Amino acid sequence: MNTRFEHAYVLNVMADDRPGIVAAVSGVIVALGGNIDACSQTVLGGYFTQILVVSFPQTVAPEELTARVQKAAPPGGALQVAARPYVAPATPVSCGATEKFVITALGKDKPGIIHRFSQYLAGKDINVVDLYWDGAGEDFVLTAQVEIPKRWEIGMLQADLDEMGREEGFNVRVQHENIFVATNQLRLTGGHR
Amino acid sequence: MLRTDEILSTIQMLHAEHLDVRTVTLGLNVNDCAASSVDNVCRKLREKIIRRAANLVRTCDRVGAKYGIPVTNKRLAISPAAHLLAGHGLGAALQVARALDEAAKECSINLVGGFTALVHKGISGGDAVVMESLPQVLSSTQRVCASVNVASHRAGINMDAVRQMGDILLKIAAATSAQRGFGCAKLVIFSNIPEDNPFMAGAYHGEGEAEATINIGVSGPGVVGSALHRRLQLGGPLTLGDLAEEIKITSFRVTRVGELIGREVAAELGIPFGIVDLSLAPTPEVGDSVGEILRTLGIEKIGAPGSTAAVAMLTDAVKKGGAFASSSVGGMSGAFIPVSEDAALADAAAKGHLTLEKLEAMTSVCSVGLDMIAIPGDTPAETIAAIIADEMAIGVMNNKTTGVRLIPVPGAKPGDFVEFGGLFGSATVMDIRNAGASAAFVRFGGRIPAPIQSLRN
Repeated sequence: MNTRFEHAYVLNVMADDRPGIVAAVSGVIVALGGNIDACSQTVLGGYFTQILVVSFPQTVAPEELTARVQKAAPPGGALQVAARPYVAPATPVSCGATEKFVITALGKDKPGIIHRFSQYLAGKDINVVDLYWDGAGEDFVLTAQVEIPKRWEIGMLQADLDEMGREEGFNVRVQHENIFVATNQLRLTGGHR
Repeated sequence: MLRTDEILSTIQMLHAEHLDVRTVTLGLNVNDCAASSVDNVCRKLREKIIRRAANLVRTCDRVGAKYGIPVTNKRLAISPAAHLLAGHGLGAALQVARALDEAAKECSINLVGGFTALVHKGISGGDAVVMESLPQVLSSTQRVCASVNVASHRAGINMDAVRQMGDILLKIAAATSAQRGFGCAKLVIFSNIPEDNPFMAGAYHGEGEAEATINIGVSGPGVVGSALHRRLQLGGPLTLGDLAEEIKITSFRVTRVGELIGREVAAELGIPFGIVDLSLAPTPEVGDSVGEILRTLGIEKIGAPGSTAAVAMLTDAVKKGGAFASSSVGGMSGAFIPVSEDAALADAAAKGHLTLEKLEAMTSVCSVGLDMIAIPGDTPAETIAAIIADEMAIGVMNNKTTGVRLIPVPGAKPGDFVEFGGLFGSATVMDIRNAGASAAFVRFGGRIPAPIQSLRN
């Protein structure tokens, strides 16, 4: 990705969720004359986590960036902060051409399901780009947005996962992401227009 | 990136509410199969169908698996058989129908439409052969579906054809009396027949169409019904406008599914994509019913006053959602009210809440017409013709498609229960009031002129 200034860093912040964290982090970047080039954050179980790509006209030592953000913490507890220089990955880690699919699974919750599931995907060079899991009740819901190498037959993956689902007690489906785009978003699905 | 709630709402729609792609229908022009020898016609037909349709089922299944949504029916619609049968006789018609039946079977296609005659202004030689052959064709083939267009808003109503169809329906019922007149379920009599309708029994490949097209029919009464339930459970002050909006949004989502699948199937087969038709086409399964939607909308007994307004709102909202979802909407696009195929409608008919007259009123605002209605087997031909004429008048005067699929059940009296099986469901035979009282009107014959297009009050 392109950054506004030459010297870019990846910054990661974790904290007890409360008002003021985003203002504190962004305040530090502004004070250093920098720019937030990308940011993604989520709150899970009362915990806040944020990953940012930030850039500055001058070099900033990652340790200094970390210390400044920690110091800016709003009242209510410390911020756990990590920073490192941003280096654009040369190529995506996954192998060859891929297509985006969504895997969903629903069933009775028990320890080890995500591990077994993700181990299978890893063995097939399937990259997980987004993962959601809700196991708060007796049942769990998993959605994984994944990149599947084009060399795999989807029917085969579905059959493998069905087998796993039978053993572990869940229903699982592998579906191309376009079905979710088509039913939820106004943008066009790629490919056949 | 997709949001989790988006993913889960789609999963709910596809799997908990059983949304499917009801049909992928390959439209195929077969005019080039005409020949002076009927054996040659049949050979060319078979070759062409197998060449174009052999991969249809496999492709639909593969694309369906990729998106996790089943394509329930794979069908074929040919250009009107009447063109092929010009200059031939009844024997040839039967032979061609059997060839179609066998070619469809070979391609694992479950129905083939287009045994069609277009006679809204007059009956040509080929049309006459098609019409006269229907009792034999529909009783001796499994997959062949027929349609006869007897009226249009430009030509008016061909009452000679209407009268003939009254006789023909009784003959088809007699020829399939062992199956309670089931042959009639494979025939639709139309006004303003659409050229690109993917739904059976009325699908055919129109004259203005390309050599071949892929048309998609999506349905989803269950999805619309569930969306309305959810909206009502949320509570708050709700108006019919809010409920119409909910139907519209759901229709948009369903139509987008159809277009996605259709375009991909078409691209894989190398055939142009035609249209997507979102029509709420019920099946006898509980939860897949247009009647249940009407109940959800507050019509406790279907057929009660308000039913017509509710169907009007439903049909319109479905059309609006569909039209926004795709620039290639066609076919029927609306709500079907086939009595035997919809458990709630069949129940309302059995309890006497829903009468033929009220159904007729509802068809003036739904997307098809008097559909899958069992009537007594001894209904006079002229009365059947008069029922057809009434329905055609609604279509012609309102510039819309209307269809009639009546089943005169041999030996059955009003109130008898008839089981057709499978998707065709079951129905209680409806009473025809004043049977025989319009025979003189029908016997005049000729053509009811096309209506005036101005002074529309």
